[in-house]
Amino acid sequence: MGIGPSTKETSLHHFRDPLLNIINKDEDINLMGVIIVGTPQSQKEKYYVGKRAAQWAEAMQVDGAIVSADGWGNSDVDFANTIKEIAVRDIEVVGLSFIGIQGKFVVKNRYMDTIIDINKSESGIETEVVGENTVDELDAKKALAFLKLKMKR
Amino acid sequence: MSGEKRKLTIKAFNINKVELGSFTEIKDNVLKLDREYLNKIDFQNEIIKDINLKIISPDRHDQYVNNILDFIPISVKALGNLGTGITHTLTGVYLLLSCADEKGRQMAEFGSSEGILSDRVIFGRAGTPAKDDYIINFEVIVKEKYLFERKAAQSVHAACDNFLDLIREKLKNIDGRKADEIHKYEEKINPDKKKIVLVKQVAGQGAMYDNQILADEPSGFKGGRSIIDMGNMPVILSPNEYRDGAIRAMT
Repeated sequence: MGIGPSTKETSLHHFRDPLLNIINKDEDINLMGVIIVGTPQSQKEKYYVGKRAAQWAEAMQVDGAIVSADGWGNSDVDFANTIKEIAVRDIEVVGLSFIGIQGKFVVKNRYMDTIIDINKSESGIETEVVGENTVDELDAKKALAFLKLKMKR
Repeated sequence: MSGEKRKLTIKAFNINKVELGSFTEIKDNVLKLDREYLNKIDFQNEIIKDINLKIISPDRHDQYVNNILDFIPISVKALGNLGTGITHTLTGVYLLLSCADEKGRQMAEFGSSEGILSDRVIFGRAGTPAKDDYIINFEVIVKEKYLFERKAAQSVHAACDNFLDLIREKLKNIDGRKADEIHKYEEKINPDKKKIVLVKQVAGQGAMYDNQILADEPSGFKGGRSIIDMGNMPVILSPNEYRDGAIRAMT
């Protein structure tokens, strides 16, 4: 399992990413940067890079983080671990991932309490239709609204 | 820490017709593509068997395409590097990169999207063209034995980048005052407000699970570094670098 046609973020998606646009429009928020982190093959490496990403977030002294993934299945390990590593540093986290019916998390932890499902297909599966199950403006607005609520606590 | 940081200007030039011609040209909202393009671009002919260029007009979405590797915006730096200065980009036309081998097997890992275009794409999403956009399908046919090798995926993206350079060369020198839209982005930090970071988890496991970061040109390939080759370690981008096409998806 990995990244299928319906969840994959194309170069065009990255160029006009709704997450960036929504966050940047919000004047109550400072976006300090965008961390790009890969998803290695081995379990050990997954933990290694996720921890480094979290350490960057801590060094930036952020109050919150939005973690987004366009793959599912084995990359849930990376997703769950990165969220945990950020949360244990007392940084509020919201995640976005494809879940639907087919993409139920293969691993989960108690820090994954605010996850937005980016599935848009009726069947809740990898439909092999490009663009179908990708983050849109509504997902981005939800993610930011949840994060702002969590940061108020 | 308040005040102004980096500034980025994106100037969009709208295209309402794409056609083949005897040279590459952008004029009066028409993009002409050089029909002799294959003689003008480098590609790995040890791996790539053939390249076909198809112009798909908005009323012709009923045609077959091979697995869609990527939708790519056509952009170039007119001034400065990624994240600063001025970027020129085309709207109304996007590139669709597709790939199969000589036997029709698709370059795909985890599901593939070959088929009739209108059935295989939800148009109008952030990552896909709108229904009334033109699509340039850069179709690469690779030799059978290389289909699932990482170097094949890299050669396909490199060939496509070389093709886009023919358009970028013209787009770079277009008069910026003729832009149809101008977007200015300034990165400001307000010390009284909450600070957040966006973490994007991207693929980094091999052929068809790769991403190229910070190429020479927006959403480009050349000059960038693969997240795999960087050990999948986190890379920090400024918001403006990210919105200026710092990532070329190779999934």
